[in-house]
Amino acid sequence: MIELHINGQQFSFDSTDVETLEQALSVYFENKQQSTFALALNGEFVGKEAYKNTRISTGDSIDIMFPIQGG
Amino acid sequence: MSLNIYGQQLDSRLLIGSALYSSPEIMKKAILASGSQVVTLSLKRQNPNENSGAKIWQYIQETVAEVDGHLLPNTAGCKSAKETITLAKMSRELFNTNWIKLEVIGDDYNLQPDPIELLTASEALIKDGFKVLPYCTDDLVLCQRLWDLGCEVIMPWASPIGTGKGIMNPYNLETIRLRLPQATLIVDAGIGKPSDACMAMELGYDGVLLNSAVALADNAVSMAKAFSLAIQSGELGYVAGIMQERQTAQPSTPTLDTPFWHQPGTNS
Repeated sequence: MIELHINGQQFSFDSTDVETLEQALSVYFENKQQSTFALALNGEFVGKEAYKNTRISTGDSIDIMFPIQGG
Repeated sequence: MSLNIYGQQLDSRLLIGSALYSSPEIMKKAILASGSQVVTLSLKRQNPNENSGAKIWQYIQETVAEVDGHLLPNTAGCKSAKETITLAKMSRELFNTNWIKLEVIGDDYNLQPDPIELLTASEALIKDGFKVLPYCTDDLVLCQRLWDLGCEVIMPWASPIGTGKGIMNPYNLETIRLRLPQATLIVDAGIGKPSDACMAMELGYDGVLLNSAVALADNAVSMAKAFSLAIQSGELGYVAGIMQERQTAQPSTPTLDTPFWHQPGTNS
């Protein structure tokens, strides 16, 4: 098992299914077409083009951000 | 006269926020009534499976497209340069803009910007190709440092965010204007009444950024229009050249040939 903190909540995934960011998002998102978000891994921005090749480890923290109204 | 933001010429000198409106529909109507071509928005952690922000995002996109405007993402909630830089990079990817309204909060009580972290974040982001619009206090030296780093647009506060107290220190804002004549200066935060925005323009500012003053009005759409007119009026007055204040009264009606019965020392 691999344990990840996503938006402050803890999730456990089968480590054979989830080795990269892209795979983690595929498991986490119900809507697989979701694209209106940006992401940070352990506090560092990761661009969409890098999801496929960014490996993740147990204990990693992922922040997934969406647009909201702001002043 | 147009507002210059990093080479983009905008007809409206009002920049408006997208938060706190009673509904997305009112938000859209208010933004359209304001005439603004720059709309601020933000990023927040959300459960993607709830998708609660999708509708508001759709409205903001539609509104900005309708006015051929620009998105101005902010870094609200950040308290360190590191957080701010990360959020700015996320915003650039998601909103496809290198404009960033830089907010680094230093104190939770009055939401006062942290000048040290703000300078650090500004320097790093400018080197990374961002067009930084820093939200800062009305501190002359801080504004000069931001200008020296390459911030062509600087946004000192009128008073703390959301207070509606108006311009606390006109002298400070006026001094920043005098000392940074080449900078695009925008008063950001604390505006409450249309007359506050008019005053900012009369001080020679290039624009005003506000949100709460419109969104929390009883009639947000009318208030948006009121701010638009106040800003136009203030700018027109500044450009027209405001008269020098005088210490003594001066009659505005010519006294030459005043009828004799009004002469001092005479009895009527």
